[in-house]
Amino acid sequence: MTGEERSSALPTSPVLPAGLRMRVVAAALRARAAGRPHPAPEQIAPDEAYRRAADAFHGLLRELPDADWARPALRDLDVQGLVGHLTGVEEDVQRSLAGDPAVAAADHVASTQAAAVRQAGRRPAQTRAEWRLAADRTIELARAGDLGAEVAVHGLRIPVSLLLIVRAFELWVHDNDIRQAAGLPPSVPDPATLSLMTEVAARLLPVAAARTGMDAPMSLHLVLTGPGGGTWDVPIGTGGTGGTGGASRVEPVDVVVVSDAVDFCRLVANRATPAGLDLHITGDAELAAAVLAAAPVLALD
Amino acid sequence: MLTAGLLEGKSAVRQAADHCRPAYGRVSLQHVGDSDSLLAARLGAGDDRALAEAFDRLGPAVYAGAYRVLGDAAAAQDVVQDVFVELWSNPGRYNPAAGPLRAYLVLLGRHRAVDIVRSELRRVARQEHSYRLVPLQPDPTPLDEAVVSEAAAAVRAAVQRLPDSQRRIVELAYFGGLTCREAAKAAGIPEGTAKSRLRLALAKLESMLDREFLESS
Repeated sequence: MTGEERSSALPTSPVLPAGLRMRVVAAALRARAAGRPHPAPEQIAPDEAYRRAADAFHGLLRELPDADWARPALRDLDVQGLVGHLTGVEEDVQRSLAGDPAVAAADHVASTQAAAVRQAGRRPAQTRAEWRLAADRTIELARAGDLGAEVAVHGLRIPVSLLLIVRAFELWVHDNDIRQAAGLPPSVPDPATLSLMTEVAARLLPVAAARTGMDAPMSLHLVLTGPGGGTWDVPIGTGGTGGTGGASRVEPVDVVVVSDAVDFCRLVANRATPAGLDLHITGDAELAAAVLAAAPVLALD
Repeated sequence: MLTAGLLEGKSAVRQAADHCRPAYGRVSLQHVGDSDSLLAARLGAGDDRALAEAFDRLGPAVYAGAYRVLGDAAAAQDVVQDVFVELWSNPGRYNPAAGPLRAYLVLLGRHRAVDIVRSELRRVARQEHSYRLVPLQPDPTPLDEAVVSEAAAAVRAAVQRLPDSQRRIVELAYFGGLTCREAAKAAGIPEGTAKSRLRLALAKLESMLDREFLESS
């Protein structure tokens, strides 16, 4: 085809009408609001999430050969000591539910060390049974009380409902500590439980960022993919000191982070580094690095 | 364990929750990634930016495909809306392993457009009124003429492949603008026979047009 022929040829594609983009996006968002994952996860209460996490953890312990209980797992603890640590956490949580002020500011590790140490010389089944009884007691006490009431334990003052999600998070993290020690493949929470965990992880990011000194306002668009994921617009540097209020938004977005939901939970739990994850990031590179470095700040062992 | 920064007395979690809200619709976007599988995962996560990125990248192709079938801008826009609402509402129906998102969306648009053509054919058959299969614009532009003639050519070619007796009644009823009764009279056959031939012809046309549009997708 000559240049003259090309110039006289009729166009083969019509021009997209102005305004169609906005109309289409608006229609789509009426069908499903932004931020909501599809398929929508089963909606469960925090106490159910904790129960599921406890059941999954107990299932792992029941399958674990006795020899694996002596494997190094975390800090100076072997698997059996780590399960003992969790029993100690349950005991402190129960004391907080009973209103005992002594556990409000107790250190998460130091306060539970005695429970970890006392497992030495016990049969694994005994350690497992002691933890299971403690976990069941926690659920029983939580359900008997007001899930919206605030409790104070290990430096936290949060509603019981949130504490139960945090505890489900902890059980999953230590489940994977033990799996790693035993050479087992990692586990993934069920989507309903994971959905509560990612919600908490996303909403705590401003607190974590504030702890690292990120006080300049910025906006993060966080996309967590896969079952249990979702999308959040997270204003950093505006909320931690009582800034501009709940309706505030920082525009335009400074950083977009896309991560697998489970990977992001591992990052927040300080079980993964940003460099080790398949993250997709756009925007201000320094801000993105700072936010991701802040993500695990709230993690405790 | 995830908890350490939630200091006593500040109720920091509640503060953070107040300030951090699920994303909602905006259309000023950055481009995060080109991969169809990543885009699909983001759509599944409710990322409205991914939706707008998908529209920016693939909306023109969907629109062009629908326009070529329908020859009508308003109807093609409706098809584009249907396609992207479907993508957003059911992102899991797109399987990145099965092919590019572009092909999936363009094919979805073509199917919707063919459904509209079918619906029009049925409506005309029900009403037994004349109808132009290729709606003409009052003042068609060269672009309009090009895309309309493409769709019209596809329909006319399909009509030419009908058996003579059926083609004749279709030409009289649709291209000739006659009612079924008038077409029967012009063809010298009973009205019932004309209706029967028309129904058979429509069924064959639908089948041929389906193949035509699917193959060109």
